[in-house]
Amino acid sequence: MKFPFRHLPAATGGQLAPRPVVDVWLEGIDVAPLGCLVDSGALRTRFSRELAIAAGIELDSSHAERFAVGGQVVEAAPARVNLSLGADEALHTWDAPVWFCDPWPFAFQLLGLEGFLRHFRTTVSGYQEWIECKPER
Amino acid sequence: MTRTVQISKQRFTLDSDEIVRSVSSVLPEPIHEHYVVVGGRRFPPKQVIALATGLDRADFTTHQARRILRGLGFPAARRGNAGASATCETEGATEPSSVEALRPHFGEWVAVRADEVLVGASTPAEVIAWLSRHDQKADSLFRVAADEASAGGAAPS
Repeated sequence: MKFPFRHLPAATGGQLAPRPVVDVWLEGIDVAPLGCLVDSGALRTRFSRELAIAAGIELDSSHAERFAVGGQVVEAAPARVNLSLGADEALHTWDAPVWFCDPWPFAFQLLGLEGFLRHFRTTVSGYQEWIECKPER
Repeated sequence: MTRTVQISKQRFTLDSDEIVRSVSSVLPEPIHEHYVVVGGRRFPPKQVIALATGLDRADFTTHQARRILRGLGFPAARRGNAGASATCETEGATEPSSVEALRPHFGEWVAVRADEVLVGASTPAEVIAWLSRHDQKADSLFRVAADEASAGGAAPS
């Protein structure tokens, strides 16, 4: 599955740098997949807590953690969820640990090693601005 | 800009600034064919006129609503076929690319399909509820970042 980089406008005019974003379905939300930034430097997969609420996902508060990101303290709690990438016959679904964070002031959800890169062989062409994800099995 | 118009045998004085205000807290309904751009967002013309006048939508036609709103200076256009980029009909209405379509939505969660923003709102729950209510599916749901840091995620481990 190959995806073009995602382009966003900049508030100051023009565009932000295009980024490797893929659209991942989260169980419980069937009207739209979530735009997710693939981040090879991130260990964990992190989504906005608001999405867990919208999807009716129960979080494991016994494993909640706090960390600093982007100049603010964020609380995160994990849940094991089904994620899917692709569509129709090419749809690939896997079970992933996702840390749901509050607040999450970012544009995209974050796909890290756990929860995504362990499941997909991922090729990125920054020059041609595409990302390709092949399921490992 | 202000204009006095007659709709369904009633006279209304409509002001463009007031129309912008009246739709500012309203989510646009799905666009079937025609739309007008109000406050940087696309609305079905009948939705805007119904909000501005309090009339029932059965009391006027889409073409009537479109003509009135164009007369008040709002760009009006028609969607292309099968989700293709829209084509503009009016002078001064420039069709946004996917990036330009996102520009009015800084800080909002949006649902996009092809190059079109279906809906933008302050929470993902509102966007999801809107999609469900209108039986719509989007290609992607995300928040429109205003700067590189928000777009990049400043990823922790």
